[in-house]
Amino acid sequence: MKQRICTLVCLSVMVCMLGMGTGWAKTVRIGLMCPLTGSWASEGQDMKQIVEMLVAQSNEAGGINGIQVDLVVEDDGGDPRQAALAATRLTTKDIAAVIGTYGSSVTEASQNIYAESDILQVATGSTAIRLTEKGLPLFMRTCPRDDEQGMVAAKTLDKLGFKKIAILHDNTSYAKGLADEAKALLKSEGKEIVFFDALTPGERDYNAILTKLKSSVPDVLFFTGYYPEAGMILRQKMDMGWNVPMLGGDATNNPDLVKIAGEKAAEGYMFLSPPVPGDLNTPEAKKFLTDYKAAYGKAPGSVWAVLAGDAYRVIAEAVAQTGATKSDKLAAYLKHDLKDFSGLTGKISFNDKGDRVGDLYRVYKVDAAGKFILQP
Amino acid sequence: MEQFFQQLTNGLAVGGIYALIALGYTMVYGVLKLINFAHGDLFSIGAYLGLTLLLSMGLFDKIGALASVLLLVVMVMVLVAIIGALLERVAYKPLRQSHRLTAVVSALGASIFFQNAIMAIYGPGLLVYPHDLLPRIAVNIFGVDIPLMRIVMFLASVVLMAALYFFIQKTKIGTAIRAVAIDQGAARLMGINVDRVIMLVFCIGPALGGSAGLMVGLYYGQINFNMGWMYGLKAFTAAILGGIGNIPGAMLGGLLLGVIEAMGAAYISIAWKDALSFGVLILILIARPTGLLGERVAEKV
Repeated sequence: MKQRICTLVCLSVMVCMLGMGTGWAKTVRIGLMCPLTGSWASEGQDMKQIVEMLVAQSNEAGGINGIQVDLVVEDDGGDPRQAALAATRLTTKDIAAVIGTYGSSVTEASQNIYAESDILQVATGSTAIRLTEKGLPLFMRTCPRDDEQGMVAAKTLDKLGFKKIAILHDNTSYAKGLADEAKALLKSEGKEIVFFDALTPGERDYNAILTKLKSSVPDVLFFTGYYPEAGMILRQKMDMGWNVPMLGGDATNNPDLVKIAGEKAAEGYMFLSPPVPGDLNTPEAKKFLTDYKAAYGKAPGSVWAVLAGDAYRVIAEAVAQTGATKSDKLAAYLKHDLKDFSGLTGKISFNDKGDRVGDLYRVYKVDAAGKFILQP
Repeated sequence: MEQFFQQLTNGLAVGGIYALIALGYTMVYGVLKLINFAHGDLFSIGAYLGLTLLLSMGLFDKIGALASVLLLVVMVMVLVAIIGALLERVAYKPLRQSHRLTAVVSALGASIFFQNAIMAIYGPGLLVYPHDLLPRIAVNIFGVDIPLMRIVMFLASVVLMAALYFFIQKTKIGTAIRAVAIDQGAARLMGINVDRVIMLVFCIGPALGGSAGLMVGLYYGQINFNMGWMYGLKAFTAAILGGIGNIPGAMLGGLLLGVIEAMGAAYISIAWKDALSFGVLILILIARPTGLLGERVAEKV
């Protein structure tokens, strides 16, 4: 027993020394906060895989201008409470910047924690408008905002000629924000909103909601929530024999949607989303896709995880250009000096608020084989 | 009017599942005065085991849909019953003589253990039952289209509940369970093996919960490791609504909760339906603190 304790002590001392060793070489520590568990776990796992792959590539190439990258991953569980804990843990780990996270309400719970510790946060899937309206100097995001998506949604619904529109959200910050935005725009265009309500995410049976929706006789159903619920709705809608067209927000851009709904029920479903790398023609996007397939044997799941990759790439670019590892310098560079950086999801520039600028959204449609097809 | 009946069937289908799970809560409470918080996770285990058995044995190709569903139900019920019995042996039996709160904490711990065990084994993402296993036909009854599988699911839960009711009321073992529920000491003096009765209760409740999990998986398709939490919470509410410790109460409470939810969604607001159903629960508990059927304390199990 005594010997074992002795070995343990020796080992821990060695580990400590190793840790100090790497501390002396020049490194930059970057945090990644993502939902590795919970209902958005598949998004989080992809985020982690993508960022890990890009970090490994940076380090193999000798680091960013000789600065090695050390990635620290924390699980936020897709839950605001857990995210606050994860953020608190990350702030104690001496990180220069943090990437993440996916859901807006989850990001919101962590925003102030990073702000108080002066850590640059680059959110990846959090599109709620108010996140960047708070005037936090060190917050930015690689995804577009809901008001832009709301605008594209209203335009798309108008272009497809729908008059009576039903809007369904799920009461999360993101889904409600997008639903409110689209509702206001559609109303001002003289469209009739025949239904506006929220479902409870995580349930299995949405028949009561669908029955009520059906009785309002909409031309189209616009659902602003996430893919697990969208899949269930598509499936139960088909079982009811109701074939109203359905348009979804960008949170339904996930291949699991088709797995849940089944190809037959998912066919014809449309959603808005930033373009996936497969639809982009830049060398960066192509190289990324080849590398990812080589590393993990399949294409990346959804665009949100790829946006985490872009978050890492802009941070790396900022470190490379400024040679700094301080949050304020990195943020200043990204907001003012980074222009049309060739990202994995198109050109990236940020405005003073930290929002990504430019026209990003495209319309996708699910075909009979369950593939997401970019609409012209 | 048509919408009313449609919503009624929606509510009954959901309520049937709540009732099946609620039975597990109520039976355990009846004999041990313990809220088995791990029950919702036994429900998830049922759904996951069902998927594993389904995929590994390829039953649907070999013996047809009906026979394979029946076989699957039996296998899942047996397996989840074994897990339930093990749970009792490991987490509750050693604490039988200690304070009631200790057992509740142990139950919460068991729940977290099961949830994380499922996550560790099957992964954190959602899993999907294969599509088109079951015929997707709708039956038209009095102008209301009801998917055939919902009727089958509802009937299956009613049959299981009725079987349990007669088992408890008419058989010798059932009488023993009722006796233990009333007074463990006196039951032991009458020659009833109390430990075995409790073990049996921990087999029946989880078996029913597991079968509910399988039904949810087969019908709704999508399962994830924390699905038991939401269903468990609702079923627990249903058990209290009907009068915890009372078997017909759990059935009534489950069906009623399902219908209140559907009606609340239909006629008031979907976003408010949970607030509404819990509001109804509060009102009923103020008027009848023992729940709807909670009065017949002497018969509780």
